[in-house]
Amino acid sequence: MGNKHPYTVLVVDDNLMNLKLIEKSLSKEGYKIFCADNGPDARAIALEEKPNLILLDIEMPGENGFDVITKLKDNSETNSIPVIFLTGVIEVDSKLKGFDLGAVDYITKPFHPLEVLARVRIHLKLSIATNSLIAGQANKLRQVTNAQVAMMPTPEDHPEALFSVYYKALEEAGGDFYDILKISENITGYFVADSSGHDIETSYMTASVKALLAQNCTPVYSPVESMKMINDVLVEILPEGKYLTACYMHINRTTKRLTIINAGHPPVVYFPVGKDPYLIRTEGDILGMFKDAQFGSQTLKVSEGDKFLIYSDGLVESAKNKITWATGAGSLLPVYQKIAQESYEKIPGQLIEELFGGDDFPEDDIVVMCVKV
Amino acid sequence: MDFKDLASRLGIDDDDFIELVELFVTTTLSDIAKIQKGVDDNSPADAAAASHSIKGASGNLGFDDIFALSRDMEMQAKQGSLEKFDQYIGDLEKMLDTIKIP
Repeated sequence: MGNKHPYTVLVVDDNLMNLKLIEKSLSKEGYKIFCADNGPDARAIALEEKPNLILLDIEMPGENGFDVITKLKDNSETNSIPVIFLTGVIEVDSKLKGFDLGAVDYITKPFHPLEVLARVRIHLKLSIATNSLIAGQANKLRQVTNAQVAMMPTPEDHPEALFSVYYKALEEAGGDFYDILKISENITGYFVADSSGHDIETSYMTASVKALLAQNCTPVYSPVESMKMINDVLVEILPEGKYLTACYMHINRTTKRLTIINAGHPPVVYFPVGKDPYLIRTEGDILGMFKDAQFGSQTLKVSEGDKFLIYSDGLVESAKNKITWATGAGSLLPVYQKIAQESYEKIPGQLIEELFGGDDFPEDDIVVMCVKV
Repeated sequence: MDFKDLASRLGIDDDDFIELVELFVTTTLSDIAKIQKGVDDNSPADAAAASHSIKGASGNLGFDDIFALSRDMEMQAKQGSLEKFDQYIGDLEKMLDTIKIP
């Protein structure tokens, strides 16, 4: 997993309840929040912490929001931080004054936390886009000169991610790989991919995708947006004939929402607590081939203890027996039912033992990852 | 007063909502005291500012009756009038009393 700093938001309001409401709403979505209940403290925090965005109340005693933004814009160290006003004042003149002073948007009180979240996201995305992120990433990745096999994170590296994995490459430069993304304290991403080929170019691709995951799997982007951004860069840089199938699973352990994005990959297996396992079937385009790729997406409300299995097609396919994952995935349901009660730590190993414990050797690379909510 | 419903409308947990309500009650009592001081000092601006604060917080949590009264108080005070504010303060306090935290 790459080093990642969470996006930070400074919230300024003289009413402590409003501060707490916004702090709670945004922090559970992965943002780090700083709070201030007056203008001078807000400016001091902005100077110290350089937040990515400021939410600023207008009507405050002493230094009001207009005074604060004027001083922020006068300081070269804070003048580029986008400011959104929070206000109960609806007069047009007031709004125009705010825009003239440099605000990027207004949120009118009373506000709904989801509206605040949506506006924070959109303005952070605009801020990122201004820095030409995609072009910058593509240029950097073209300069990758180290053909190294990407390190696969282990469960011991990331105990908070609650995952176990079985990984076996058929050849030295394996086509399958996986990664774990710590998006925030309570949000983790799990990525399993199968790339075409087993050569030195595949190693380049693996390293590039890992870098793209670190850059694009952030609280600002929805899971499908992250995959689309990664796809857009891959379309630019991958050689002809190179592509990936992938599954990206995004878990928010505070809100208990889980999203699966499928890019032409075998279906995820869901082991709900106390119920039979089943496949989550979604369809989507592969990564790296089409500029306007459409990915399958499904969001679920999950419960503590639920388990999920993400795997590469080597688990279910057989060229010998002419089985593709599209036809083979469902045939393993009886096996999943058999191992459903095992702990998440044991499931990948148990599954491999059930399927390949005899003389049947895998015909392809295999990644089997089990994740517990 | 259905706390679960109000929490659900905001998309936050029941426990978080209760914590916010407790904070709301505390800050509103403080703002009511500021309104009273504004009345005592004959300062409509101070009364308006404190009413504005209550308006914002109550609206955000969904306490519509407190929101409506504090909005009217803010508008009246901004026009320079503190007439009937003693009665309004009493009404605000009664509305606050009806918020029973489970």
